[in-house]
Amino acid sequence: MSPQGTVGDVTTDGWLLARIGKKDEEALSALYDRYNRLVFSMAKRILGDTGKAEEILDDLFYQVWQTAGRFDPAKGSLAGWLLVTARNRAISRLRGRSGASEELDENGVTLRLDVESRAAQNSLVNKVRTVMEGLPDEQRTALECAYFEGMPDTAIAEKTGQPLETVKTRMRSAMESLKKVLT
Amino acid sequence: MEELELYALGALSGEEAAALQAHVAECGECTMKLAQAHGSAALMAFAAKQERPAGTIKAELMARIRANREEEDRFAWPLRTQAPGLGAGRAKMESDAKGSWWNWVLVPAAVLLALVSLGLSWQNRKIAAELQKERRAAELLIHDREEIEKLVSVLAAPDTVTVKLAGTGDAANASGVVKYNGKMGVMVYSAELPALPGGKSYEMWLMPTNGAAINAGVLRASGRVWGNLWTAEVPAKTEAKGFAVTIEPAGGVAQPTGPKVLVGAT
Repeated sequence: MSPQGTVGDVTTDGWLLARIGKKDEEALSALYDRYNRLVFSMAKRILGDTGKAEEILDDLFYQVWQTAGRFDPAKGSLAGWLLVTARNRAISRLRGRSGASEELDENGVTLRLDVESRAAQNSLVNKVRTVMEGLPDEQRTALECAYFEGMPDTAIAEKTGQPLETVKTRMRSAMESLKKVLT
Repeated sequence: MEELELYALGALSGEEAAALQAHVAECGECTMKLAQAHGSAALMAFAAKQERPAGTIKAELMARIRANREEEDRFAWPLRTQAPGLGAGRAKMESDAKGSWWNWVLVPAAVLLALVSLGLSWQNRKIAAELQKERRAAELLIHDREEIEKLVSVLAAPDTVTVKLAGTGDAANASGVVKYNGKMGVMVYSAELPALPGGKSYEMWLMPTNGAAINAGVLRASGRVWGNLWTAEVPAKTEAKGFAVTIEPAGGVAQPTGPKVLVGAT
């Protein structure tokens, strides 16, 4: 990484976050432009509601603005934190309760992929989609129920009429396939 | 690790999740593994159909941020300045605040004094917010005056050099001028450039005879000192061999990375 905070022609998340910590609105604008589609799409998939997904998006980036100075890039990926936090809030909202406030300097998320450029994100979307389409139906169903509907394994087992251990095994196998996009 | 992945997916229920959470809180290795598991689970976000939110969401977010900044400035104001002569009139000002404050709005210097006391008036948020806007306008006037004084001093100095900038590449029709006074370490420059797509900025550089390029500012509309002019301060007594404007990511960078659109040599 070059000292000026860019990799190739992309300004890194860490540099943007440092600028946001100094209340640089353009840096927040750039970060929002970088991740709004990913965060919104995932939130909308979970909530099935555009307005609620937009609220999640707005609150999340407002929190980034407020607390950017406390983020330590060494502890985890900002993109990972955004996705995990947005999902947690969306699931909490789906269950009709207010989500806990996840601080930027806690709950590190290690995302071992470059997702800072549009090209990288599009590539990953295609790869993940290919993997998901290639999964056996029961594995894909278990994974989607867990991630997008916030269903615990017991609820998935009840829904599908399968034994609990079978459901767990299917989710583990699905995750193994999914993690191959990391290589 | 597999249980951690199921936990990261939110797929462990009740006692299992609680037990794992308690263990992770005590185990550094598992904390790291959980961070990786969260990263793996986050891949599922990419499986969602990709859609963009309405454009108004960003506009509302940025407006909310600006409003918050103005609020913060209002609360910080009394700590930064003390207006002379305020003490004697404060009691009267506070008691007459509701009736006579409009008169203070019309007098920029009086607005600064009134804000110190009105900043304590927690109940009149709307009125205080209006006054805050006037205060910022006054601050900008003062800032502009200082910038214009800097501009005039550079333009009038006999040892100020003028460098014309010519467009290159995709901005062949662009033009610019730099007035540079190395002794003062001040640049005044103007540029006519085509509009940029979102996510990009123009950035001005001083190319010294020795050493790396020196950042002379991002050409933001808000940064103009007057008309189409910007000023920048650089280390005094820097010998410049030329100037250039490049296209960089929004917000600017510390060293030039993008294509040059304006160049000029001293």
